[in-house]
Amino acid sequence: MFTNGSFSQPGSTRMLTFVIRRVAQIIPLLVVVSLLVFALIHAAPGGPLSLYLDNPNVRPQDIERLRRQMGLDQPFVGQYVSWVTAFARGDWGYSYADGRPVAERLLERVPATLQLIGVSTLLAVVVSLVVGVASAVRKGVDRVATIATVAGISLPVFWFGLVLQLLFANTLHWLPSSGRASFAGGGLGDRAAHLVLPVIVLAGAHAAGWSRYLRSSMRGALEQPFIGAARARGVSDARLATRHALRNALLPFATVVLLDASIMASGAVVTESVFAWPGVGSLFTEALAKRDYTVLMAFLMCGSAAVALLSLVADVVVHALDPRTREAVAL
Amino acid sequence: MKRGAILAALLLGCASGRDSGPSNDLLIVGYDREPDTMNRYATHILEDIQSCVIEGLVTTDERMNVVPVLAAEVPTIANGGVVMRGDGGMDVTWKLRPGVKWHDGQPHTSADVKFTADAILKGDWKPESTDGFDRISSVDTPDSLTAVVHYKEPYAPYQLQFLRGTLPKHLLDGRDIDKANDYNRNPMGTGPYHVVEWRTGEYVLLERVPHYWRGDEYPKIKRLLFRFVTNATTRINQLKAGEVHLVALVPWDKVREIRTLPNVRLNQVLGNGYEHVTLNEKHFPPFADVRVRRALAHAIDRDLIVKTILDGLVSPVNGPIQPMSWAYEPNVVTYAFSRDSANRLLDEAGWRRGAGTDSTRAKDGRPLAFTLITQAGFTIRENVAQAIQRQLADVGVKVQIKLLDGTAISPVWFSGDFDAMLHWWQSGADPEITTFFAADKSPPAGRNIDYIKDAELTKLLYASDRTIDQTKRADLLRQAQRRVAELIPEIFLYNTSKLDAVPATLRNFKGNPTNAGPFWNVHEWELQPAR
Repeated sequence: MFTNGSFSQPGSTRMLTFVIRRVAQIIPLLVVVSLLVFALIHAAPGGPLSLYLDNPNVRPQDIERLRRQMGLDQPFVGQYVSWVTAFARGDWGYSYADGRPVAERLLERVPATLQLIGVSTLLAVVVSLVVGVASAVRKGVDRVATIATVAGISLPVFWFGLVLQLLFANTLHWLPSSGRASFAGGGLGDRAAHLVLPVIVLAGAHAAGWSRYLRSSMRGALEQPFIGAARARGVSDARLATRHALRNALLPFATVVLLDASIMASGAVVTESVFAWPGVGSLFTEALAKRDYTVLMAFLMCGSAAVALLSLVADVVVHALDPRTREAVAL
Repeated sequence: MKRGAILAALLLGCASGRDSGPSNDLLIVGYDREPDTMNRYATHILEDIQSCVIEGLVTTDERMNVVPVLAAEVPTIANGGVVMRGDGGMDVTWKLRPGVKWHDGQPHTSADVKFTADAILKGDWKPESTDGFDRISSVDTPDSLTAVVHYKEPYAPYQLQFLRGTLPKHLLDGRDIDKANDYNRNPMGTGPYHVVEWRTGEYVLLERVPHYWRGDEYPKIKRLLFRFVTNATTRINQLKAGEVHLVALVPWDKVREIRTLPNVRLNQVLGNGYEHVTLNEKHFPPFADVRVRRALAHAIDRDLIVKTILDGLVSPVNGPIQPMSWAYEPNVVTYAFSRDSANRLLDEAGWRRGAGTDSTRAKDGRPLAFTLITQAGFTIRENVAQAIQRQLADVGVKVQIKLLDGTAISPVWFSGDFDAMLHWWQSGADPEITTFFAADKSPPAGRNIDYIKDAELTKLLYASDRTIDQTKRADLLRQAQRRVAELIPEIFLYNTSKLDAVPATLRNFKGNPTNAGPFWNVHEWELQPAR
């Protein structure tokens, strides 16, 4: 009987310690990220006022006045310190572009993005499960799937989106080209129709990558000795694939899906702008073009926090599902 | 399978829920960006949506004439509206149109004019521009329909001082205007429309006000929906799919696609802007030699560029003031395309061929090679830059093209850290060009990024700024244009035509050369009823 070491702790306490430790690691990480990102954004050429320069009717002295009024004439360190202290207190400041509170601007865009990413993730998971398993066990399917997935991974989101618009909206007139709803419509069906093309674009790339991943983990699992042993005992191929190999392959698959959620979010930035989708991603594109520092900072900080939290969730999931990882991580 | 089929049918069925065609009930505009604020004085982008709600004392029409809106007439010296004072200042008397009411029923009065000038002078909020207002000493309101604006010094563009309208005193007095979000998101105006809904990231919906001052028959169209579609290709796809009905400022490279659409008409007017190559003689000293500048102008075949790259949508220009302006001077020195002239001038200036390993000209061991910066992602401009590169190579001038994104390029030119730049200026209706060419107007004081310093030109420009009489001012500006053409501090390429894609059945759409935008006469737009 073990009486010492981590094994003496009950499982739940051990998990809690692990989570607390990981969260404690995230905070200094975010501080470092905030400084780096703040420096990078401010180092990028141009600023919130640079577009004003192009308008000959706005005199340079007006731009200078606005720079002072916006506090952009302060030294970099001062700007960072005042931003970071306010941000930590929950005051995310005001948008340089429209003067509204940053938190309000971000939050009002969140539902549209969650909807897009949520539906896309769901679709990508279902498609990659089917395609991944099928191509792991069927040679014929694998050949077709290989071509399709290579295409899926290589197609630029931007271009693919516009081609789908041309085909389904302009030529066939089956679906609306972009936006989240028609003005006159706005019912459930109308909203669903508006989702189809952006979801195909966003889910497509991920389904391609994930199905490849699942296929290779399935293949790996199918080559394990225990599969051979099971087959020798007369377990059917279908049962082998779903009950045994898939179960083993699902764990790394789930981890990849969770970790990829951040990449999904970056894909959403492009997809949203191509499809005029009113989410956080198109706000980011707009803020980037205008160098709307406060909106950019809040977006990137939330993004970093989300990535850190998702990787924590992925660890916890693996930790919970796979006993082998527990000791190594907890120690 | 069955479920899949039902889902597919459901999705396809939705296509029928699409918005219908343009009508006097609803016109959908595909708009390239979401407004920052509805406050016309604070916004720093185009005021198209705002101008449907908030009217100026004047506006500028499709030929850049100043036409009265909330003013009963445009004050001039001739009609007694402008008086030059003995102390060097001037008084401008604005007579307001009687019977105009704010949307809440309060009368629009001279107190609103005074409040606007005072608010901008006070400087406790962030108006985009204080130009002209900073020369106002005070505003008097002898009666509710008369506002007398006292200027400390002559201010030639005084007619456009209240182009952006007035701020409602009864709503904003004593408040922090930057934070007055009730006004900034849904402004009180006197115009034909008011804001019904602003769905962030998606659209702004405007609806007709019940008793517009021009008469109950105006505006003809009940609702205007501005949909925000940033991506230009997506915007054009929406137009093709009939999801939007009108797209203002169509990019030139999309015109071919739009021409094939049966229900869409392209409306074209000259733009009050000109595409040109800025030659920064401070950063690249060979440009300081006028012979070099003239040679470059001769070497560029503008007609070919206009014909091939721009499909003839624009016309070449020879100066900074555009043909529809009352100050335009057509009789200036021009530089016809001629490689011989270019070669001769460069030879004269001492730039010889054959000195280097390639055919680039050189002088005292220095090659005649410079970098041309321009905006990335602006397809037409990238093509024009390549054409210029090719054409200048033919006369032994080497050009390297550097593309910079839209936000990154402004600080570069403002710092003066470039040799040459392909770009345009888009101006308001006033023909002032002092900021581009006066000797002391290089950044940070102004936008003279040719860094041209010519005493005669500078004198003419400042004299024109102080001249209120339009005929006399035009004479000074004409002399200035002739001088600019002689000096050729930058290479003038073509006028920036404005193209708007509108429903073929839309009547009274006139367009606008300036950033006042095509919505200036939105009250009279009307869809022809279907036959």
